[in-house]
Amino acid sequence: MHDAAQLQELKTRAEQAVSAALTAGASDAFCDADRSRNVELEMRDGQLEKVQEATSRSLQVQLWVDGRYGAHATTDLRPDRLTAFLADAVALTRALEPDQHRQITDPVLYEGRPKVDLQQVDPAVVAMSREDAIALLSEVHAPLGGTPQLISATSGVNHGHSLTVRTSSNGFTGSQEDSALWISAALTLRGEGDRRPEGGMWAGARYRDDVPAPDWVAAEATRRATDVLDARMGPTKNTTLIAQPSTAGMLLARLMQPAHGSAVQQGRSFWADRVGKVVISPLLTVTDDPLLPRGFGSRLFDGEGIASRKRTMIADGALQDLYVDTYNASKLGRAPTTSDPSNRVIAPGSRGLEDLIGATSDGYLVTDWLGGNMDPTTGDFSFGMRGFRLAGGARAQAVGEMNVTGNIVDLFARLAEVGDDPWPFSSIGAPTLVFDKVQFSGV
Amino acid sequence: MASIPMPHDPFLSWFGIDHGVIRRVLTVLGARGADHGELYFQHDRSSHIAMRDGIVGEAYTSIDQGVGMRVVVGDQVGYAYTEDLTEAAMLGAARTAAAIAAGNDAVVPPVDVTTAELGDRYRIDLPWADIGVQARLDLVQKAEALTKAKNPAIKKVRVSLSDSEQRILIATLEGHIVVDERPMSRLWVNTTATRDGETQSNGSNLAGRHGMDWYTDERLDTVATEAVDRTMILFDAVRPKAGEWPVVLAAGASGILLHEAIGHGMEADFNRKGESIYSEMLGRSVAPEFVTVVDDGTQEGERGALNVDDEGTPAGKTLLVENGVLRSYLHDRISAKHYGIAATGSGRRESFRHTPMPRMRSTYMESGPHDPDEIIKSVDYGIVAETFTNGQVQIGAGDFTFYIKNGWLIEGGRKTAPIKDINIIGNGPEALKAVTMVGNDSKLDSGGWTCGKNGQGVPVSQGMPTVLVSKLNVGGSDA
Repeated sequence: MHDAAQLQELKTRAEQAVSAALTAGASDAFCDADRSRNVELEMRDGQLEKVQEATSRSLQVQLWVDGRYGAHATTDLRPDRLTAFLADAVALTRALEPDQHRQITDPVLYEGRPKVDLQQVDPAVVAMSREDAIALLSEVHAPLGGTPQLISATSGVNHGHSLTVRTSSNGFTGSQEDSALWISAALTLRGEGDRRPEGGMWAGARYRDDVPAPDWVAAEATRRATDVLDARMGPTKNTTLIAQPSTAGMLLARLMQPAHGSAVQQGRSFWADRVGKVVISPLLTVTDDPLLPRGFGSRLFDGEGIASRKRTMIADGALQDLYVDTYNASKLGRAPTTSDPSNRVIAPGSRGLEDLIGATSDGYLVTDWLGGNMDPTTGDFSFGMRGFRLAGGARAQAVGEMNVTGNIVDLFARLAEVGDDPWPFSSIGAPTLVFDKVQFSGV
Repeated sequence: MASIPMPHDPFLSWFGIDHGVIRRVLTVLGARGADHGELYFQHDRSSHIAMRDGIVGEAYTSIDQGVGMRVVVGDQVGYAYTEDLTEAAMLGAARTAAAIAAGNDAVVPPVDVTTAELGDRYRIDLPWADIGVQARLDLVQKAEALTKAKNPAIKKVRVSLSDSEQRILIATLEGHIVVDERPMSRLWVNTTATRDGETQSNGSNLAGRHGMDWYTDERLDTVATEAVDRTMILFDAVRPKAGEWPVVLAAGASGILLHEAIGHGMEADFNRKGESIYSEMLGRSVAPEFVTVVDDGTQEGERGALNVDDEGTPAGKTLLVENGVLRSYLHDRISAKHYGIAATGSGRRESFRHTPMPRMRSTYMESGPHDPDEIIKSVDYGIVAETFTNGQVQIGAGDFTFYIKNGWLIEGGRKTAPIKDINIIGNGPEALKAVTMVGNDSKLDSGGWTCGKNGQGVPVSQGMPTVLVSKLNVGGSDA
């Protein structure tokens, strides 16, 4: 946990920066002062290979100067340089063209900040010593060595703690603190010919007690590497796609990617004229919940200081609303909601991955994505994948070097079932998703 | 743009970091032993302005400074960094980095330092810091006006201009000190068009280690034309049939294939660990003899150009594939020691917050013997890949991908319809073997490519002649 002196130091720095910006001529200012500590360790083939530790701090300030806007950041925190930096920033911002839509957040939106403990900081993570971390690293690493065909095994531990103090010229003050601990394992195995297939697993949490057991992470990594040893291209076909929880989050993220005021205002969103219209399967309900205890995306206020609240984003086959910040709300002639996503919670179905595979007579299971992209204006996508060909309710053959192609809205219109198994290691808690009639490219 | 002029050596002028301070910090860094190690000082000043809906109403600037400290013992790395450039903070970070070394044989840096003569690959006449806001506004407004005038279907134009100046100082435990100044700039033009109720968007950009004078009217017109043409053609674009097809890579940005299919796999850290599909392939014939692939840090003004890499090794030119034979990996100091050869000047890092590792610089294929038109004519059904957004590779399996934003369908030896939004997958060594024709028109792409590896992004360049790969997996519609 932070000590009072650290908090006060950041608070003073942020307040002084706001004051200096106003003195230099800014109409309004919003400042973040932060401090973070990160530790990263890696072990390869039984030997400690990398230890990296650092404490970092910086200052970011948003300025509104006579209808112009600028965002400026520095890590040079010497008082005289900071004053000069802010004066330069104000002068630069003033030299821009005025934009009537550039306004600091309406202070009314700061009100109603929830008074709950989001459980974002675990003292046990903050207090981790190098010896603790090396012991954990060794626990992840130990089971990896016995894998047949092993060429190289790597394990990792990464832990961090950050504290940010925010203050504005129109009455906002707040602080955000969090911790995180991640462990990982990766293996490279000897495959056919020169091929050396790899597989890995990352798992983490805000609290140490929520991090999975090291031997489970090692076993998952080993299974993922072993699974793809004999992967080959499957047949080109239009069939069922099952995205397991670790890969379903990417599809949901793409679906939501242009659900932002900025994208709609710029004409770069397939949601532009579809908000409130039923265009995807009613099976999908997505809630944006910033108040989820221990969530990776939890917060009491957003990037503009707007007080957090839960929002239903997708329900009954329709996008209910957009993520809209103050600037884009003004341009769109509407009220802001929140600037960016927090935790995305998906309403669960009634069964998990294995049952869903068991119910699939023909299709592909996606265990990893490889490259690909989506056009946010149209929703057209094409992604590389590896996984399994499914036949008769079981995994029939590991596959790789294949593509999945379509349109993301069409894809979610063909969402056939939602699993009950949300992925815990992301701010998108995606469960298994099953889609009908998806185009795969193979042989 | 700044009230305080930027000195040539900000570390000495602003922070009093002279050779005495450097030696004292290095002494602590080497106190527990080291094969090698260094201090990497960095000071970046950057700015970004953007024009949206006809108004240049937003600007972003940053100052980022700090020092990264590394101790290397065998394959082991201890690393720490600090943004606080006081001697006390640096000594603290040095002690943290040194802790990985367990030996008692302290490495003491020599009193006398040596400095290296470096190349001069990105000198600009007028530093970005000396260019006022109005000149930047004028440039962005001109690009926007040019773009809007190209086609009435263009409804939205967003233009942005980024520039940065990086100063680095690298001081090694052996007593070598090098300094470098690295400019970078980039101009983006993004467009959205509507036609018959349909909307499409796309864009183009220009990038390199250039000054303001590089953005001539001619280049602005080119980038505006590209942005508009690449957007408008999407209205008529189709998708090819899903499956394995011949792929013609157009000259220029198609170098993304080399970057993913071979470049990453030739980075020596993956090979010394046995993790790359190329780990046991040096000296083997991997492609037809008309295929030569180079990774080059010496091309003036390119994003991938370097006078010196981020470990202090002068950057050069490395032959990855020479006449079809796999010749050399890309080495940093750790891998060079592992293999007992000289480093290739490929040790790069995103910033002082990151450890260096082997990375590409500018990766391209040299021209071959074939006529580009003949290459198209040789394909009965397939595609041409012209512009790209991103790519990726699995180092060990060798499977790589790249995403085509614009291209053409080939039917009966002719380009018949534009295509869009298609992912391509292949396997690196198999794709190299499947290169059946190489055009005589190799060229570098002028776009702003950034390569990602282990969470670190570095600027790179890529280039290609027109090339035919006889078979790759093409994302597409119902076969």
